[in-house]
Amino acid sequence: MMEFGFSLSPSSAVDLDKVDTSRFDRLVEMEPQARICIGCGSCSATCTAEPYSGMSVRKVLLGLQRGRDAEVDRMLAACMLCGKCTMVCPRGINTRHLILSLCRISGKGKEGKA
Amino acid sequence: MKKNKNNANQHVAIIGGGIAGLEAARALLGLGYRPVIIEKSDRTGGHVADWHRLFPDMSPAKDIVERLRRETEGARTLLQTEIYAAGRLGNDYTLTLSDGNTLRAGAVLFSTGFDLFEAAKKEEYGYGIYDQVMTNADLERWFNGGGDKRLDGKEIRRIGFVHCVGSRDVKAGNAQCSKVCCITAIKQAIEMKEKFPDAEIWCFYMDLRLFGKKYEDFYIGAQRDYGIHFIRGRVSEVSENIEGRVIVKAEDTLAGKPVKVSLDVLVLMSGMVCNRQVHGLACQLSLGVDEDGFLKSRDNIASITESDNRGIFYAGAVTGPKTVPETLAEARSAALSIHAYLSAQ
Amino acid sequence: MIERIPGAFHPFVLPFVIGMVFVLAWCLAGMLRILFELPREDRRKFFVSLITPRILWKDIKDIFLNCLIHVRLWKRNKVLGYMHSSIAFGWFMLILLGHVEVFLFLPHRVRFLYYPIFFNFFVAEADATIQGEVLMFLMDLFLLLILSGIVIAIIKRFRSRIVGMRRTTRANALDTVGLYALWAIFPLRLLAETFTAHISGGSFLTEPAGQLFHRFISNDMHILPTWWAYSIALGIFMVVLPFTRYMHIPTEMLLIPMRNAGIRIRSARKGFARLEYFSCPGCGVCIDACPMSVRKENLKDCTVYLNRQLRRKNEPRIEEISDKCLLCGKCTAVCQVGVEGPELRMALRGERKYALTPDYGRIETSALSAPLAERKAKVLYYAGCMSQLTPSIRKATAAVLDRAGIDWQPMDPDGRLCCGRPLLTAGRTDAARELMAKNREIILASGCDTLLLTCPICYRVFLEDYDLPGIRVVHHSVFFQELLRDGKLTPKNTPVEPRFVYHDPCELGRGCGIYEPPRETLDALGTLLEAPKNRQESICCGGSLGSLSLSFEKRKDITLGALGNLTAARPDTIVTACPLCLNTFARYADRPVKDLAQVVLENTTD
Repeated sequence: MMEFGFSLSPSSAVDLDKVDTSRFDRLVEMEPQARICIGCGSCSATCTAEPYSGMSVRKVLLGLQRGRDAEVDRMLAACMLCGKCTMVCPRGINTRHLILSLCRISGKGKEGKA
Repeated sequence: MKKNKNNANQHVAIIGGGIAGLEAARALLGLGYRPVIIEKSDRTGGHVADWHRLFPDMSPAKDIVERLRRETEGARTLLQTEIYAAGRLGNDYTLTLSDGNTLRAGAVLFSTGFDLFEAAKKEEYGYGIYDQVMTNADLERWFNGGGDKRLDGKEIRRIGFVHCVGSRDVKAGNAQCSKVCCITAIKQAIEMKEKFPDAEIWCFYMDLRLFGKKYEDFYIGAQRDYGIHFIRGRVSEVSENIEGRVIVKAEDTLAGKPVKVSLDVLVLMSGMVCNRQVHGLACQLSLGVDEDGFLKSRDNIASITESDNRGIFYAGAVTGPKTVPETLAEARSAALSIHAYLSAQ
Repeated sequence: MIERIPGAFHPFVLPFVIGMVFVLAWCLAGMLRILFELPREDRRKFFVSLITPRILWKDIKDIFLNCLIHVRLWKRNKVLGYMHSSIAFGWFMLILLGHVEVFLFLPHRVRFLYYPIFFNFFVAEADATIQGEVLMFLMDLFLLLILSGIVIAIIKRFRSRIVGMRRTTRANALDTVGLYALWAIFPLRLLAETFTAHISGGSFLTEPAGQLFHRFISNDMHILPTWWAYSIALGIFMVVLPFTRYMHIPTEMLLIPMRNAGIRIRSARKGFARLEYFSCPGCGVCIDACPMSVRKENLKDCTVYLNRQLRRKNEPRIEEISDKCLLCGKCTAVCQVGVEGPELRMALRGERKYALTPDYGRIETSALSAPLAERKAKVLYYAGCMSQLTPSIRKATAAVLDRAGIDWQPMDPDGRLCCGRPLLTAGRTDAARELMAKNREIILASGCDTLLLTCPICYRVFLEDYDLPGIRVVHHSVFFQELLRDGKLTPKNTPVEPRFVYHDPCELGRGCGIYEPPRETLDALGTLLEAPKNRQESICCGGSLGSLSLSFEKRKDITLGALGNLTAARPDTIVTACPLCLNTFARYADRPVKDLAQVVLENTTD
């Protein structure tokens, strides 16, 4: 028999049935504004830290809702809290405070330890 | 509907001589009333009179404005006239005008329209700072033959359009969608492509809201026939490079990557915002003002052209951003409502 | 002078003695605790300052002027100044003169703590000598002074607007006990001395009063009860003192020498910070001053309440108050004690624990500094993050620099690194230091001799927290004023002089003390008008990055309040020198708002 070189690779699709959004849910408790992002990308384009970690508040919020926590933490690490994203957000989201709140909850919705 | 007999010669005050006011006056004349158009500027036609061509049929704006002017010649039109005070007197309203006269009217129609968002207020877009940045209104003026040093005699190879300037933006004080800017941007992009066939054109949008008749066809045409690029991302910064181009920074949210592009001209789609000048009058007559600053209709579904006050009616963008056909339809509807109201008196 | 009471003791002195011993022990323990909490080097600094004559003299002078005379309060509000200094200085003089009396007449009684306080009870014919009479006169005079202060205090309690305060703090139960005890002390002393005047002697106040009372009551019968009451009032006041806002009196006397020794807040709760929040007299001057007070919901978020909550250890409120503040520094500017509201809050924010720490390791400074080092201009212009969103400032600054023929280059033409101040104000100090080190490398490698800033937020951090040897850090308001002064820029002749009002940005004015250079510039280019509240009292625009939690919508009223102040003098143009103020004001202003750079560009010629 011929062996064909095909094998099934795990799908890269996001399975919304299985995604763990507990960190996003915790964030929404602290920052209800996290829900009103329209994903316009203003924050990403203006971000001072973007060149260094791909930081984007839009992607952070989306990432948390799609179970991409590690990526979110990587992006957040270069944030300089300069406040430009807060200034440009057309929905008036206090992104700076949102980032600080997010930095307090690590992993799956745990509070930062004292 | 029958022409009114009992109320013949009844005055109807129309505040604002834009297309809403003109169309309502035309309809009221037809119903046998004596509409009085009160216009603060030195000509009627409002914003549409400044426009070049109208979507979706690319019909000249001049045609419709001139037709309306012609057909309302029978109405009294007070130009360069403002209203100092307004009040109720029995069943009528009295308006104190800036020309010293007082007008007594059985009904008042607010067709005060909208203001275009002042693009300079969004400083990060550089309007008034960079020589390459203009607005949708500036572009129409240029289409109409008014010269513009941002375009005349320049080699234009790269053009950008920014949607949602001052609309859908709480920072600018306008949370509402301005409704017509998406299709206007596409219309203007096509017109620019026709003027500058070699130019590359980018439209930066947050969402494309192409709801009206033939709008989607326009969109398809812009993509297929004119090769206009659509980037889903709101522009956040504009700067200038040494070659005298502006550099626009946005995120291409579909690619998930920041993009920047250098442009010869950047057109800002200033949105429709409420006309604040009307707030004083609204206050005197105890008319409701919505959170977005537009006047409040009695009901947003069934009676959009009626206010909470008997005898006061609305038409067009006074209650929110509207397209030209919507405005005209509302004006006719308001005229009928006024007729019904006055006939019942 | 005769000693009337053998053994120099009477049981009525006990309440006072108990109170006095208690409060002295408490203060001593508190002082030791604060000393112990200080970092070792600060403690050393403090001790060294006490044996440095120059600082010691300043300590004495400051304590006298601030704790007793209340000069800062006088400058702010004459009635309140009089009220506080009459009570504090008057009381101090009563104690001092009491001791002088004892020293002069009965030196062997000096060791009794209570003797100078109750002197008139223990002696007879104290006014027999000329010294005695003078002292008695002075005692009555200062008692009268205090009583006049108490009258104002009572009026203020019930009608604070009469003394020019719109809002004042509400006292808690113990504060009220302390307050009433304090009010009672001096009238009771007057009564006690009045009833004793025919024995001990008195002066213009106590003697006639004694004679008056004598007409219809028996003075002798009232001697003991009034002295008891006086002593009890003193005792109550001193026992409750550590638990009331009156603790500010002894605390401030330690705060002043520590501040003069150069000690600053290092930890949010301990040492110097503790000293600051216990020094707060709770007067509430900061409530009216706070720009957030335009909204009723923020009334309890100003520094006086932060101090109160810190004393009560009310953690949720401490966090809320710390995060809301705009850090504009106006509370410190008006505070008579000098409690540093913003610094306290920044330290409190620094206490917060985060699961995620920033890491700027991936930022390669060499790539960023290489083009700068190659071009090598004398002046390096760092626009900063905010100026990326205000192209008018960047463009005008560049044009002015070119017009003046300056050899310059931009440090961040398309946005580079943040200055670090936003991280510092958010309490993320370590991250800020890491970022600042990166910027420092870039600046040093650029070969510049001047670092020019158009953003006061950046300016402050480069000035205060960076170590840039040989490089002058300068804000454009100062730099442009020098260019005008040196004739590198020439004012344009305009037929009608533009009318400007200048807004002092918080970080530039109160933060760095720059008030005059921008005014001199505007004065040279047009007519300079002043807002009613200006310089140290300038009102924050409301856009401050200092506030972490204040939402966009809730800032609007603050901005409108500040704009109302600025437009009072009917200027054509509002001028500021901060991109954030420009951005914030432009949103709601009814007339043009410009940066100083734009005004300089428009009103000068080549």
